[in-house]
Order: sequence, then structure tokens, then C-alpha cells
Amino acid sequence: MSETKKYGMLIEQSRCINCKACMIACQAENNVPLHKHRNWIEESEVRGTYPNLGLDFTPNQCNHCDNPHCERVCPTGATFINDDGIVLINYDSCIGCRFCMMACPYDARYVDKERGVVDKCTYCTQRIYQGREPACLETCPGKVRTFGDLNDPKSEISLKIATHRTEVKYPETGTKPRIYYIID
Amino acid sequence: MKLGSCSVVGAIIGSQFKFTSAFAESDIKDLPDNFSGDIRTHCGLCVNKCGMIARVNNGTIRKLDPILDHPKSKGMLCAKGNAGIQTVYDPDRLKYPMIRVGKRGEGKWRRATWDEALTYIADKLTEIKEKYGPESVLFSSTEGFQEEYFTHFAEAFGSPNTVRHPTLCLASVNNAMFNTFGTVPHFDLKNSDYVIFAGSNRLESLLTPDTIDMIDGKAAGHYHVVLDPRFTVTASKANLWVPIKPGTDLAFALALIHMMIKENKYDKAFVEKYTHGFDKLAAHVKDYTPEWAAHETGIPVETIYKVGKDFMSSLPRSVFYSGRRGSWTENDTQFRRAIAIVNAISGAWDREGGVVPARKIGLGEMLIFPPDEPEAERIDNVKNEFPLANRRDGVYLTLREHALREDPYPLKAWMIYKQNPLQSVPNSQKTYEMMKKMELIVSIDIIPNDTAWESDVMLPEATYLERTDPLHSLAGLEPVVALRQKVIEPMYETRPNLDIMKDLAGKLDLGEYFDFDIDQWLDAQVEELPIDLDELKRRGFYSDDKGKIFGKTLKEGYRFRTKTGKIELFSERFAEKGYDPLPIYTKPKNIPSGSYILLTARCANYTHSSLQNNEWLMAVGMHSMAHVNPIAAKKHDIGMGETIILRSPYGEVELPVYITDRVHEDVICIPHGFGHTSKGLSLAYNKGARGSDLLGSYHDKITGNAAMHEDFVQIIPKRTLHTEKIQGDKRKTRVESGGITG
Ligand code: SF4
Ligand code: SF4
Ligand code: SF4
Repeated sequence: MSETKKYGMLIEQSRCINCKACMIACQAENNVPLHKHRNWIEESEVRGTYPNLGLDFTPNQCNHCDNPHCERVCPTGATFINDDGIVLINYDSCIGCRFCMMACPYDARYVDKERGVVDKCTYCTQRIYQGREPACLETCPGKVRTFGDLNDPKSEISLKIATHRTEVKYPETGTKPRIYYIID
Repeated sequence: MKLGSCSVVGAIIGSQFKFTSAFAESDIKDLPDNFSGDIRTHCGLCVNKCGMIARVNNGTIRKLDPILDHPKSKGMLCAKGNAGIQTVYDPDRLKYPMIRVGKRGEGKWRRATWDEALTYIADKLTEIKEKYGPESVLFSSTEGFQEEYFTHFAEAFGSPNTVRHPTLCLASVNNAMFNTFGTVPHFDLKNSDYVIFAGSNRLESLLTPDTIDMIDGKAAGHYHVVLDPRFTVTASKANLWVPIKPGTDLAFALALIHMMIKENKYDKAFVEKYTHGFDKLAAHVKDYTPEWAAHETGIPVETIYKVGKDFMSSLPRSVFYSGRRGSWTENDTQFRRAIAIVNAISGAWDREGGVVPARKIGLGEMLIFPPDEPEAERIDNVKNEFPLANRRDGVYLTLREHALREDPYPLKAWMIYKQNPLQSVPNSQKTYEMMKKMELIVSIDIIPNDTAWESDVMLPEATYLERTDPLHSLAGLEPVVALRQKVIEPMYETRPNLDIMKDLAGKLDLGEYFDFDIDQWLDAQVEELPIDLDELKRRGFYSDDKGKIFGKTLKEGYRFRTKTGKIELFSERFAEKGYDPLPIYTKPKNIPSGSYILLTARCANYTHSSLQNNEWLMAVGMHSMAHVNPIAAKKHDIGMGETIILRSPYGEVELPVYITDRVHEDVICIPHGFGHTSKGLSLAYNKGARGSDLLGSYHDKITGNAAMHEDFVQIIPKRTLHTEKIQGDKRKTRVESGGITG
């Protein structure tokens, strides 16, 4: 087992019922401005015609990439990768230039006008460093997400990844995203 | 760069405050203004009452988090629960008692003191009581942890006329279950291998713990079948979605019973020992064949056979879910009876993965001075018109008819608690008419809803986060006693309903009926529990930790609370009262040419017609649009987003079209809870359409439960594009069925 942690998330989207509790929990937890969200549910187009239909819901948020484009383009170094793998923003250095927003292939970032910074999911550092779970995960009726240390092979998330077929989003962009989706 | 634990990133956010102790002083009666700490309580934004922890900092609620080990809510808090903060801090809240100065509905109010407002009400009530008798005052209310004080007040006042929400919701389901099993059972969905849901949209109309159990069950490999003319979220997650012609579900249920008996797959030993009337049932369903049902329901006969076969092969861990809101058709109780019968002959009764009588933890009772029985009979004549209905709940639509006819006496005042009849009772025109008959209308609420806006006096109640409520014992397979305690002091001049009732009673010389306070009430209740009040306040809830218990009713000598003491397949009580003792199918009405069946939908982000004024929820929830199948849209040559008029014999509304394959071509579906007419709701006002403006007054024959799926509407295109801007996080959130694409 490695000394350093690398936090990641696993999403079992088949359990998601599009109730949006995670979005509102995050909004409250992180004071996200109205009409902005750090996480969101992507509702697929309805497939087929009545009565042969299909529909999926996919939770999304910052992937805390290993090779984050957002960090590379940041002119002030405000965006950084923390030692535990979480991609964070130093709000004092952020000048709100939005380069990172354009660079991120996942559309994970938004402008917080009031604070004059760009912001995004932090995995709720204020909670996880106190031993609690991210707000989106905790409140979810489907417990769709699993959060934990990818470097620890015995962690729940590592065990699940080892025993399920998973994929990441837009691997072709080279960002090395660290949110895994179970494909069933 | 390293960020250590507990470092603060950026501005002060959410629950990152460090708290010194979690509600250390358990006997805090008045929370100090600058109180900081975690308080365990229960959500009050819907019927579920999820356990939650309020993180309070300096007298402000910062975050509501789920109680993780709560036996009912199982560690979840839905979007509404999370957005509760916005409800408390909603600038549109009712803040002070308000007395109308302009015409009704005009929106001109003057702020009054509590004393002034209550004196005004008391004087009017006294005058009306003297002139017309106490029965001329109507008391209507919806469930909630302080509702009991409102109905208690009605009794003390001497009026028999209390009317509650069940006949706009679940009265038919409860009646059918009760008259079959002698109780309203719960479903052990966590362990049922095979579940049939008929129209019950449990993944959008959340119910704890069922919604959670369904998600877990499905992941564990259980098979879910959903009958619905709409492709709901529940349908989309099911193993099998069976589109069905609206109003024909009973045919399917009868065919299922037919198959079980014909193929000898019912539980013979169980039926013999525990049930009454099997032979009559067998003869009754003989002609209800799958072929016949296929013709009625539009479901391919092979599908009916397949569901029947799979259901039977998974027995006894197969259940037919009863649903909750049964306000669908005029034959709804009989439909739910058929569901009950399936579950009664399947052998799933009182077993793991089956249909199980709920447990409830006993509470002590505050002994209060009991009011006399009211002298007058109820105006809705429930006793004779609906002899099996719950009398104290009343029958809403029938009551309104009687009130309009002043039969046998007039209603002159209307006291409303936590209810919005203009939205929730079908046929709003009639409700307006009924209001015209009233010399006094008083609304007690937290927000100026449509009905409150048309009232004479609005009294501001403290929200569920600002008051301590009586304990409530929530029945379930894992029962729980829920404590709701205030996490901040009431804002503005709002007050808990008990205090309002108490003062009003005092002004009416009825003080002796309210000779207690909430603390005495809690002390009396907690007496029966093995833990004391301080401990309860720390935990927030009490569970006996016994988990699920099965088989109590299967023990020798158990008597079911029915007439025969057995599970009644053939209902003796129905026979006695002149109802069909076995469910007989009736065909839905033919759809008039050019018309569509109107269905109304619930969405996980609002509680019926409330919470549409919550800006966090409105930003992510469904919007008011008419869901129309592409075939119907083509017929009328209407495109996505175009404005149409929906017209019924009772009214018309205007709203944009959302063209989707998720509804049957004969159906138009609109989400419930829009088209608010109250200008006091700055966000929800005039957004979309109100279903009650279109619905007629059909009702279930046995319970009087409103039948909200019996109406037809016509489409009249307006040939204009909808212009109202729908706010949302357009960047990426596709607002479900709201027509906003990312
Ligand atoms: S809370 Fe869970 S189930 Fe609900 S939308 Fe979010 S991920 Fe999906
Ligand atoms: S998802 Fe976007 S914002 Fe998040 S780390 Fe990757 S590139 Fe950066
Ligand atoms: S509104 Fe949501 S959180 Fe509150 S009780 Fe209902 S389901 Fe639970």
C-alpha cells in the first residue's frame, strides 16, 4: 500500500433515480450560487418510441483528473493537485480568467460571481478531512457513489473497481479522470 | 502544496464549522440567538419525516444532513429535505398575522398583532357559532406533527366538520387493505424477489423506506414490473415496463388472480387456514381470463402470461405493491381490493419479502380534558353516504357538494391548517364557490399559498425547524419514534400551531381544553419509552432495535381485525353495506373523439403543490408543461415549446407543450402543483398550469376518494411559442421533462 492517498469516486449510475438530492446537498454544503451546480445529473435522450423506450441518468462532477487540463492552463497556479489527488483551487490566487473552464472537457467548473473566482467540486474537503463523506454521497437515497482511496487496494472503492467493469469519461482527452462509472 | 486536514479552503462554507459539542444541553427550551451546534430532528416537508441533523452556526441553519442510522429514512435526505433551509429563509414566508383589507384575493393586507388577529377571529367565530351553531365552521387540514392540535380545537369548538387530506390521496388504498387484512400492511421490498407496481411511481414520489429498498432490491437482482401508461423513472428502472390503458389496472389484477387459481399456484394451506371466501373468489374470477384482460388493458396476452408465470414462480417472495395515492378512478377501492386479494392468496402474507403488518412503538398519552361529542351530524353525511369511510377524515368532494347546497345546513367559516384546497382539491371553480359562502376564512400556514391569499386572515406558523412537536410513532416494519425539536427560534412573529390554538381557545373560553404545553405533552409521551427525554433529544429518534418481525399474525389463535376474524377475500363488510364483496371490473369511459385522458404527475422535487416557491428546487425540478405524445402532437400540428390551451368542461389552462414518447398517445400529463395564483409567492406565481382548474369532481364509490384520472381534455393550439423564461442551470442540467436541454 502506498503512503500517499489518492482519492477517487465510483459511480453506479444504474442506481440513480434522478432525484437531484445530491445537487441540492452540494448546493447547501458548499454555498453554490443559485442556478450553478458542482454536480449534475445528465438525463439521456429518451431512446426508442412508445412503448419501447430507454432512459439513463448519469451523475457528473469534477473528475479530479491525474492530468488535469484545468491546472495546466491556469496562469496563476491557483488550480493545483493536492497530495491526496484532489484537484483544488487556491481562491486567493484565482483571478477568475476562466481559462480552466474552457480547458476542462467535462464542463465541471462555473464562475462564482460574488466571490470573483471559478469553482468546482472539491470532494467536500471540509467534510472528508473530518472523517465524513462528501455531501452528495451521504444524502443519496440510492447511495450511487463510493468515495475512497484508490491507492489502498483494500478500500471499498478499490475492491469495487476490481470486481466490476468500469469506464471513465472521455479518456481520449488525456486528462486521466478519476471518477469511475460501473458499466453493467 | 499540501492541504492538511481541517484546513479551510476559501470562504466559510457549509458545515465546515467546527462544533464544540453536539447539543450538549439537552434541555434547552429557548435556544440562544447565537446557538451553535448539531441538533437531531425530523424533516417536515413531506409525509416521510426523514431523520436529520441540523448544523446550526450562530443561530443560522447552515446545513441539513441525514441521520445515517435512522431505521425509516435509512440515511437519506431528498432534494426537498436538503432545500429545507431555503424554505425557512424564504423571503416570501408569512411573517406576521395579516388581516385582509381589500377584496378577497386582491392581495391587500394589513399587518396585525397576534392579539388583534386572534381577537378578530374569535369574535367572528363566536358570532357565527351563535347564529348558525358550531357545526357551521369547517376545519380542514393536512397531516403534520401539529395537526392533532388543530383537530382537537375543532372538537373543543364543537364542530363535527373536520376534513383531512386522505380523500384526496390514499383513502381508497387504506380502505381496501383494511377491509381485507384488518390492517394496512407494509411491503418488505428489500427482500421481495418479484414486485408488480401498478402506476405507483415510487422512484419519483419518494416514500421511505420503500424507495430505498427498491433501489437496493433491484441491485440485488430482484425483478420489478411496472404497469403504467407513462414511462416514469420507476418504469425506466424496471426490468419490465408494461404500458397499460389508463383505468384498466383492475382487469390485470383480476386476470392474475384467475391465473393463480387456475394453475393452482396460490398457497392452498394458507388460504384454507387464514382466509375467508375462497370458493366465491374462484367462481368470481373464472371469466376474468388473461385473454379478456389483454383486450381490456391493451397489454399483449403473452405479457400477461409471462408476468403471471414469473410472479407465481417467485412465490412466496412475490408481491403486488398496493400503491399509496389511489385517487385515480371511481372504482379505485375495488382495484386495491384486487391487489390485496392477490397478496392474500399468494402466501406472501407476514413473511420476509412479503406483505407485512406494520409495527408501531407505543407512546404515553397526555391526558387532557376531552371535548364532548359534537351535537350536529357531519355535513357530508359520511355515515350514510360512505358508511365505510373514516368519519373524522371526512370526504372532501362530497363535503364541498353539501356545502354548496347548504345541505343540511350552511357552512359559514373555514379554518384551514397546512392545506391549499385551491390546488389540491379537484375543480377549483367549485372551491371558489364554496369560499363565497364563507363569512370567515382563516389560513394557518408558513407561506401565502393560493388559498391563504384568498382568505380573510393569514396566521404565520413557525416552520418544522423552528418548533418542537409532539412525538410521533411512525409505523413500519422497522418502527421508529420521531422527535422533532426546534433548531432555531421561530423567525419574525411566527408561532407553533399549538400556541396559536391555545390562545385562540383562550379567547373563546375554551382554555380548559388547552391546559398544557409542549413540554408536558412530551413528558407524558416519553413515559412509555425505555429512554428519557434528554436521551431522546440527543438521539433524535427511538427505535426498539428489534428489526423486522415476521409471522405474528400466523400464530395459532390470532384474530384478524375483520368481521370473520380472517383475511377476507370475500368482504363481509362490503356485502353488508351493499358494495360488491368481490371486485367487479368496470370499463373506463370511452375517450370522446378529439380528447385525451388527463393525468397529473408528481415529481421528486416538490411535495404536491408545495415547495414550488423554493428557488433551489425550482431550479432543478420539473416545470409545468403538457406532456404530449408525438403522434398526438402531429395530429394537432404542434411543436415543442408551443403554447396550447387545455380545455375541460370545468376550465381551461394555458401552458407549453413538451413532446415526448414517455406518455401514451391517448394521454396528456401535466405535473401537479403549478399555476399558483397567489401573488405572495414571488417565484411560483403564475408559472404554468393548475390541475385543479381542469379536473372535475369524480370520486371513488366506496370511500369518496377523489378520482383524478377520470377527466378528459382537449388541445387547442395557440400557434405561439412559449416565451416565459425557464430558469435553470442551462450549462448542463437537463431539467427532467421540463424541456430544457443542456
Ligand atoms: S441523490 Fe443519488 S439518486 Fe438522487 S440524483 Fe443524486 S446520484 Fe441520483
Ligand atoms: S474534471 Fe475538469 S475541472 Fe476537474 S480536474 Fe478534470 S479537467 Fe480539472
Ligand atoms: S421531504 Fe424528503 S427529506 Fe423531507 S421527509 Fe420527505 S423524503 Fe424525507
